[in-house]
Amino acid sequence: MTVLKQYTVGVLALQGAFKEHIELLQAATQTYSDLNFKFIEVRTPEELITCDSLVIPGGESTAMSLIAERTGMFEPLLKYIQSDKPIWGTCAGLIFLAKQIINGRPEQKILGALDIQVKRNAFGRQQESFESPLDFGSFIPGVDNFPTVFIRAPVISKILETSYNKEFIPIESIIDNQDQNIIYSNNKDFQNNSPVQVLHKLDSGLIVAVRQGKILGTSFHPELTNDFRFHKWFIDEFVLKN
Amino acid sequence: MSEQKLNKGLAQMLKGGVIMDVVNSEQAKIAEKAGAVAVMALERIPADMRASGQVCRMSDPKLIQEIMDTVSIPVMAKCRIGHFVEAQVLEAIGVDYIDESEVLTPADKKNHIKKENFKVPFVCGAKNLGEALRRINEGASMIRSKGEAGTGDISSAVGHVSLISEQIQYIISPERTDEELEKFAKDERIPVELLHQLKTLNGKLPVVNFAAGGVATPSDAALCMQLGCDGVFVGSGIFKSKNPEKLATAIVNAVTNYKDPKKILEYSTDLGDLMFGVAIDQLKDNEKLSQRGW
Repeated sequence: MTVLKQYTVGVLALQGAFKEHIELLQAATQTYSDLNFKFIEVRTPEELITCDSLVIPGGESTAMSLIAERTGMFEPLLKYIQSDKPIWGTCAGLIFLAKQIINGRPEQKILGALDIQVKRNAFGRQQESFESPLDFGSFIPGVDNFPTVFIRAPVISKILETSYNKEFIPIESIIDNQDQNIIYSNNKDFQNNSPVQVLHKLDSGLIVAVRQGKILGTSFHPELTNDFRFHKWFIDEFVLKN
Repeated sequence: MSEQKLNKGLAQMLKGGVIMDVVNSEQAKIAEKAGAVAVMALERIPADMRASGQVCRMSDPKLIQEIMDTVSIPVMAKCRIGHFVEAQVLEAIGVDYIDESEVLTPADKKNHIKKENFKVPFVCGAKNLGEALRRINEGASMIRSKGEAGTGDISSAVGHVSLISEQIQYIISPERTDEELEKFAKDERIPVELLHQLKTLNGKLPVVNFAAGGVATPSDAALCMQLGCDGVFVGSGIFKSKNPEKLATAIVNAVTNYKDPKKILEYSTDLGDLMFGVAIDQLKDNEKLSQRGW
């Protein structure tokens, strides 16, 4: 009898739309009868340590960061990042993974896993939230009309300079002059040794999806659609290739 | 339809979180720092409205704007039941969510706002499944219980949450006949399709459902979560207590770890004086805010 390798994918469940991610991950892997997947909600360091990959969902980024710190999850998350396992952050998750944020709160700590600067609420308040079908065919073969949902969404306002990246500012105008308070990650122990790859830019030039090695960040919420192709791509390209 | 998805989506982002009533930007800052996922901008907290006996209306836009300028989390504001012009004003200010709320004095004794006419999302109170589905049918993107606001007594919120669960079980039971569903829909003045949809979704409401009214302690909040709510509104409880920062933080933590009694124990310890309470049974029926709304 062959023992199937088990893949445990955790979804950080401190706050936000974590159940939606689990449902889509389950839907995306239904056809993988030869593989054994386990999807779990992660609230404690003990749960985190069992995960081969992690998804950080959308929610409120300030709340998520404060709750992580208070419930003793912030340090374990930093360690998890150093362990070089795949991670995907959507919306608030993208903010949490960034090295710098604009429009953040002084008490908001970030993980510094991606060499990017992220601007919170870059499009404005809820009435500026929008949906748009986007062409991801350049990195997910055949997916040229993915239904994306942007809710009070952040954007990637800068790719930061490292030995792997040249500093890149997508659109200077999105960085308000009066709002130059940048929150920096204190994560000094980790350096992502891959270049930042821009996966998708909107027509306006704003960057809404990046990948840096095993870490993926998106401004939008594939977990709010019924379309599991993005989740399937994460499984195939990150979880299974690790 | 698209608006609905975006508006329900924002409520999904608030899940597992605490939404706090605040009356000024100082309180809004405290709420944000405590880890609130949103704040409800009000002129007076429900306990004080209840005590005042006056007509309670939408807050001054200046106050709402100040709070919006102060915090980075979503800002909600209340309008009176049926007062669609107050709702238009709140939409014009740019609030992230409107609560069509029984805590304010109703403006229309018969109709609620036709919420599908708005771009901004609405949250509405519900005591039972029929009321919840009526509000959803009018375009509400989020539902909350209608526990007696400003009392610090959790019993009516618990009653509403439990009743909605029981009624959902009744509807989705395989024994239900089409006639019974038709009757329920007719009695509750809702399209029967909503009941069929509920069956298809295996009893899951098509929008997020929060607890509201009477939450005063970390255990109250965790109780609502264990009963199946997606998150919690806290009104008077926090800023009527001795140590609002500490209590606000404790309630946020308890909602995250609602299944872990040891953690709730830790969060419940040494919080200082909590809000005074008014037992709901001491209220006359005409003093009960949950009777408002139809």
